[in-house]
Amino acid sequence: MSGVWIISEKRRQSLELLNIGRQLADKMGTHAAALLYHDREHAEDCVSHGADEVMLLPPLAGEEPAESRIPAIAEEAKKGDPDLILLSATPRGKNMAALLAARLNVGLVSSCTQIDYDEGSKTLVMERLAYGGAAVQKVVCSARPAMATIPPRTYETAMPKSGRQGNIRELPSPSSSAIKVIERKVKAKEAKDISEARVVVCVGRGMEKEEDLTIARQLAEAVSGSIGCTRPIAEELHWLPEELCIGLSGIQVKPDLYLGIGVSGQVQHVTGIRNAKVIAAVNKDENAPIFKASDFGIVGDLYDVVPKLISELKK
Amino acid sequence: MPTVIACFKWVIDEAYIRRGPSGDLDFSSVDYKIGEYDRNAIEEAVRLKEASGAKAIAVTVGMPEAAKGVKDALSRGIDEAYFIADSSFGNLDSSQTALILTEVIRSRIEHYDVILCGEGSSDLYAQQVGPRLAEQLGIPCISFVQKLSLAKDQLVAERRVDEGIEVITAPLPALVTVLPDINVPRIPGVKDTLMAGKKPTAKIIKDDLPPLSEPLVRTISLTSSRMERSCERFGTDAAEIARFVGSLRKKGVIG
Ligand SMILES: Cc1cc2nc3c(=O)[nH]c(=O)nc-3n(C[C@H](O)[C@H](O)[C@H](O)COP(=O)(O)OP(=O)(O)OC[C@H]3O[C@@H](n4cnc5c(N)ncnc54)[C@H](O)[C@@H]3O)c2cc1C
Repeated sequence: MSGVWIISEKRRQSLELLNIGRQLADKMGTHAAALLYHDREHAEDCVSHGADEVMLLPPLAGEEPAESRIPAIAEEAKKGDPDLILLSATPRGKNMAALLAARLNVGLVSSCTQIDYDEGSKTLVMERLAYGGAAVQKVVCSARPAMATIPPRTYETAMPKSGRQGNIRELPSPSSSAIKVIERKVKAKEAKDISEARVVVCVGRGMEKEEDLTIARQLAEAVSGSIGCTRPIAEELHWLPEELCIGLSGIQVKPDLYLGIGVSGQVQHVTGIRNAKVIAAVNKDENAPIFKASDFGIVGDLYDVVPKLISELKK
Repeated sequence: MPTVIACFKWVIDEAYIRRGPSGDLDFSSVDYKIGEYDRNAIEEAVRLKEASGAKAIAVTVGMPEAAKGVKDALSRGIDEAYFIADSSFGNLDSSQTALILTEVIRSRIEHYDVILCGEGSSDLYAQQVGPRLAEQLGIPCISFVQKLSLAKDQLVAERRVDEGIEVITAPLPALVTVLPDINVPRIPGVKDTLMAGKKPTAKIIKDDLPPLSEPLVRTISLTSSRMERSCERFGTDAAEIARFVGSLRKKGVIG
């Protein structure tokens, strides 16, 4: 047996994984299979988007965590012996992938940004970032199946084709996990997706108070842009939602203009803006690393500079 | 008295890595540090110790030079350390590191309640040592935790998942990987550094361990990804602000 498997619980992510999964399966001369969490309608969807087979995991009891699916998935993987298993690099996807890789005792390439199949040597060569984004690491997995997590939006969603046929089957019920979920707190609202924004104004820790976000918003408005932020703003201060965190552990953006205010420009952040056409920054420290990564930089206090920028932009 | 173990990695400080002439990585002027998020793991171990009278142990696998990191960990409030060192331990993959940690924790630390790891190392950020270690030890793993407390024979953790937060209970012993917002790592003072030298460290060498497993992920190349930008500087007076906005307009990136 063989095949390329994708494991996903969200529609969009499964279609993204199917895109690259199907391409690789074709190159490798094998089939593509999707392992989904109990959604029949979604299963048909995956078939029309390229899955030859869909395996459905039955629903979980209320306090069971996603992890209780690991034993069933691992059993199925041992039987099916896939060449490659792909998951999304979201918090849950990364956790499930690591536990599954540990259970199967195989390699896992985390936050993989590119996968190529070398037909000569019949190996999968994968790329990821290392050293906070300062380096590109090329790796191969030495055990079967190879595994990788792929950041959301690395690939477009697969194109549907009518008339595709696929086999849909149910997997055994999940087992019971030692850990229990006693409460679920759902995020109040999903933040606007900025991965396709044309202009991004990024707020860093140089911002002193949460109320001061107003001036960042005014600046964003003046350049018709969206607000993004660094990791400390989202995860330590919680001033903005995590979806707006740009960088290695957040999202990649590729705007025409990135304008950082009070952002130091550590490599983990800058790696998320490398595809911006123009990078500009305001920082009061002339030695801040952001200036080495910028096309245009203003050395100055953001509280002085931003209002001036807004009025100049309005002219 | 509970025992809490914090695992950490002594890593290259990525801020000092330069781009070599042919796009290679220039490590010639690098410095080292305890991985960013491993500092949160150490701090959480010390915080649990202060809250419940636990013993806090640190464990690291690395090159002999990581001795500095062991001292750093001890100066941050850890009581004792296990230092597994060999000059060939600079490029282990996560599965190898997890197996070495498993071996040492199993054979040398009789009793433990919680193992803490950072959510990922600052250098390779594969985010796998924690889950692999838990799997090898046969204990539950709770990843991406931003709040943690210990009750009698279980822990309660708030972990980040795709939709928000899940509050989890797990029987002890358990392994937890922590996010940066779980705490603010303390900065050791002179006295802490002096005290660190007096705390016990068990040194373990390669010969004390079973033969090393093969890596499951092999690195075939590492190249610099640093980008070149024009780095033009502007001042803050009216003329400079106008020139800055003009430059953006000229590039056609704003209306
Ligand atoms: C494994 C790993 C993954 C990470 N992933 C990410 C990630 O995805 N995204 C991310 O952003 N970070 C990430 N980080 C953290 C990253 O290393 C930096 O710590 C972070 O980006 C710094 O955020 P900052 O620039 O907002 O804050 P700081 O580094 O504190 O910088 C604040 C800047 O504001 C300037 N400033 C202060 N006051 C003013 C003022 N009045 N006017 C103008 N300038 C002012 C200061 O000079 C300083 O340069 C990661 C770290 C690790 C180890």
